[in-house]
Amino acid sequence: MIQLEHLTKEYNGVRAVNDLTADIPDGEIFGLLGPNGAGKSTTILMLVGLIEPTAGRCLIAGLDVAREPLKVKQQIGYMPEDVGFYATLSASENLSYFGKLYGMGPKECRERSGDLLHLVGLDGVTKDVGGYSKGMRQRLGLAKALLNDPKVIILDEPTANLDPQGVADYRRIIKGVAKEGKTVVVSSHILEEVSRVSTMIGILSAGRLVAQGSWKDLARDLSTKAGAEVTLLIETRDPLPEIVHPDIVSADYERDRYRAVIVARSDIRDSIAESLALQGIRLRGLSREGLTLEETFLSYYQAEG
Amino acid sequence: MARNGLITIAEKELFDHLRSRKFLLIFGILLVVAIVGMIGGITEYNKALDSYNKHQSTIDSPLSSYMAEKPSILSVFSSVATYLIFVGGILGIAMGFDLVSKEKESKSLKILLSHPVYRDEVINGKALGGIAALAGALFVVLFIALATLLIYGIVPDGNELVLIGVFALVSFLLIFSYFAVALFMSTVMDESGTALIYTIIIFILLSVLVPTLANDTVMETVVGEHPELPQELLDQMQKSVDTNATESSAIVVSFANKGTDSGGAWDAYNERMQAYWEKRQMVRDTFALFSPTMNYESITSMITSGSAGRSLVMSTGGNTATAFSVASTGDAGVEDILAKIAANLVALLLFPAIFFGLAYVRFMRLDVR
Repeated sequence: MIQLEHLTKEYNGVRAVNDLTADIPDGEIFGLLGPNGAGKSTTILMLVGLIEPTAGRCLIAGLDVAREPLKVKQQIGYMPEDVGFYATLSASENLSYFGKLYGMGPKECRERSGDLLHLVGLDGVTKDVGGYSKGMRQRLGLAKALLNDPKVIILDEPTANLDPQGVADYRRIIKGVAKEGKTVVVSSHILEEVSRVSTMIGILSAGRLVAQGSWKDLARDLSTKAGAEVTLLIETRDPLPEIVHPDIVSADYERDRYRAVIVARSDIRDSIAESLALQGIRLRGLSREGLTLEETFLSYYQAEG
Repeated sequence: MARNGLITIAEKELFDHLRSRKFLLIFGILLVVAIVGMIGGITEYNKALDSYNKHQSTIDSPLSSYMAEKPSILSVFSSVATYLIFVGGILGIAMGFDLVSKEKESKSLKILLSHPVYRDEVINGKALGGIAALAGALFVVLFIALATLLIYGIVPDGNELVLIGVFALVSFLLIFSYFAVALFMSTVMDESGTALIYTIIIFILLSVLVPTLANDTVMETVVGEHPELPQELLDQMQKSVDTNATESSAIVVSFANKGTDSGGAWDAYNERMQAYWEKRQMVRDTFALFSPTMNYESITSMITSGSAGRSLVMSTGGNTATAFSVASTGDAGVEDILAKIAANLVALLLFPAIFFGLAYVRFMRLDVR
């Protein structure tokens, strides 16, 4: 659905996005991760057609964003990081105005606005948007992004101002639209949030896409690249034999040998489980206690320099 | 594919203006000053008409027949024009200074441009909405002005109605000029407050500073002093004025007095004077090209005096202006007046066009981040 081909953007000679190439299939929730200044927002602005790439191109549903911006914009729904609306209009009036820009008729605008405001929990609010909290504006932003029933939904830091209920609603809505076959791109620096909704991850660092793949593969890969150690807890119903593996750094067996803590250079749980099964040792539990998600990424960025 | 962006945006902008407190407040002030100006103008007109009628009944000198002209109905709009220069300018600025900058500040511009609309539809729609609101406001003012005329029993004829239409058009162009300046500043600046300050600076520059540069002192430095009236003609004029005292406050001097013994001297003086004033007017016109306020003053003084004879505004900085008719032809045709104001009208059309063009180019290249 979305193809980025050698996408590059320079501001005054400084490369904000550098030769970015990626392919995001239909129905995926693609999490674009990276620290502040990594190029996430610039990439999204190019995807939405608000800025033109210095080099390369973005294709959405086979259409070049720079060459056919109106056709592309008809198929995307976008919510920027600091989502802004017309303060003197109500939520419904704001949505109706944007609906007209999509070519929707008054009745369609009214019905669609009503449904979406109900979906994001703003259906009972009649005051002007100027009186909204940041969280309410973000909820309205999500409704706006879904207004034209888009094939592609692009969200920049969508949960930054949401309360826990808002975050839960957001996750439910995003997973729901992905099930309908829509492609979602979510840019965020909140790793936990991205890990909860994304089916694919792309990691940007200094304008470059340094990693891309499914969340599990990527986490394993990152741990290895970052040189992070993994702590494994093994519990068995039979006494443990000595476990040998080249990645093992240290092993600490309890006296009765029904429990052990192993520190390894990679996640070797599969290998351990297989070896114990071959020896007829019955497992009670095999869990990983290694780095948190955040620690993994920090290790990765530190390793990248 | 939706291609109704221009109309949708213009519609929204129009209703935003009509619902805006600042627009309603300034429009209200505009209405009040228009009504007050009209009533004042009508009172002055009636006085001038009485004076003219009295004067006509006491003519006993060939020279005195040139000393008074029948006042034009258009003269009642003179005060309105004076008020419009400031209130209209402020209305234009108030409507335009935050059109784009407010969207930048509220971050709604990013959302708006992510929709299937071309950028030119956005800027054109904003301008169109503003133009519609301005035109509507002026239409109401014009309607009330005409109603006031009728209430006082003054019925304009066809030609006068045309000139009232031209008056309304140039009033619109004046307000639109400052609207265009404000719109341009709004696209250049990121904050509405800054855009407003810069627009006010330009407004003061064009409505006060440039006219000051074209005032008597500066003009006499550039063009020199006007030719002196020969003593023999002065004596003759004085004698005529003494014997034909009039209540009219406007002294209109005709230099086309061929029926006297001093006709040759008058002709020579007339030629020198005409050359002087034409040179002076050329310098003033050059200044005026850069100032919508000056163009507006020139056009409205020509319309409200109702004469195609060149009216030379001698005191341009203040509210008082002395009409000095070089070649009075009495009540002139609409075509004559239109021909005389054509250059100023073109300048008044070009000014907003240039600023709107600049705003357009700037908006099309705006970096939305």
